Amino acid sequence: MAALDTLLAGLAKERSTGALRVGRAGTVFLDEGRVTYMECAQTPGVERILSARGRMPEAALRRLQTDGGTERLLAEGPVTLGELQFCVLGAVLDAAFFLLPSAGTRPKFRPGERHWLGGCWYFDVRGLVRECARRRAHLALIWPSADVDTAPVRPVPRLAGHGVALSRVQWEVVTHADHELTPLELARRLGRSGYSVLQAVRELAAAGLLAPAPSGEERPALPKRSRQAARTKSGPEGGTRARPYQESQPGPAPGPEHGPGSAARADPGPGVRLVGPAVTADPADLELLMRLKKALEELA
Amino acid sequence: MLGLHDCLTEVMAIPGALDAMLLDQTSGVAVVASGAPDGVDTERSAAALTETLRATMDGLARSCPGDTVRIDDMLVTTDHGHHLLRLMETAFEGPLVIYVRLDRERANVALARFRLQDISTRLLA
Repeated sequence: MAALDTLLAGLAKERSTGALRVGRAGTVFLDEGRVTYMECAQTPGVERILSARGRMPEAALRRLQTDGGTERLLAEGPVTLGELQFCVLGAVLDAAFFLLPSAGTRPKFRPGERHWLGGCWYFDVRGLVRECARRRAHLALIWPSADVDTAPVRPVPRLAGHGVALSRVQWEVVTHADHELTPLELARRLGRSGYSVLQAVRELAAAGLLAPAPSGEERPALPKRSRQAARTKSGPEGGTRARPYQESQPGPAPGPEHGPGSAARADPGPGVRLVGPAVTADPADLELLMRLKKALEELA
Repeated sequence: MLGLHDCLTEVMAIPGALDAMLLDQTSGVAVVASGAPDGVDTERSAAALTETLRATMDGLARSCPGDTVRIDDMLVTTDHGHHLLRLMETAFEGPLVIYVRLDRERANVALARFRLQDISTRLLA
């Protein structure tokens, strides 16, 4: 994650102009240190979006790319300036969301190269990084497990209740899901941003509208109950571990001055502040929590 | 032809406009914004407004069965002012939302609504 971020931040500082190619994953185009366009192999670009919406065939757009560029695109009138700006903005933010965390190949910078849709909208690198972090946090808030992001989308064949309200993207996901396409493949087919489809899929998962993975697939094993964890409940120095959950709930967010002993109680490492319950990304933990939740619901 | 920045400028020219913002309803990102008032973070405010719209849509979807809900605009009046939101369909997913906060004393809601309609048609035509 840090590699591409810092590289871009460096290029922004030097006010460089050119294209940063990140292997096959994608390309970032910069103009005097500001990002003008971003391509990502996983997400639909502006050309794909416009053709998927029936605004203009992809071939015609490719012709424009070499002859006339954005000026002619706007003059011919399939999109307005505002729409094109908004489209570029959406496509770049979406590409950034998937491209920035990828750190496989060594990125190569080629000075002077520009994208034909560059210049519609300018992004500063820090803003892009911040927005990606916000989106990631938002996804985690909807549904904590990232498993559904990469697995084929399988809507449940029957509703557990009598009715359900779907948003537009959710509807498109449900109607196009063939139990084999993953969210990003669906996004390309729909001409929607990858993020919006991920968001819809996680919302569906949270609403219990996705079927669990078929039993043939490997389920993560339950974490072993460690003796130490059992002891903290009753042991003499008990409670010291489980505390942060209770501490952070009531009242406003705790400020830096916790009172004595707080530093010893929760030591999340340098630079990490514990606000709210400790966050875990361990799929085993999440799986366990989900099963517990389900069991409790069935009991009730 | 209206770009997004020009659009914001025109929205701010509505009599009584205090601050305005364009946002993307799907992702909750603030596209462009006039200076936010003290103590308000633009990005958070955009995300929160998105949630407001989503909640409204959910609520309406439940209260008018047999009807797909499409919000054209939404007006909320509070103690201190009017909040006006206008949704626009675009080539990209959107909807793109214009949000403007109006002074309760000085603003004329009917005029503001009319102006927003006009601006949004010019943005997309």
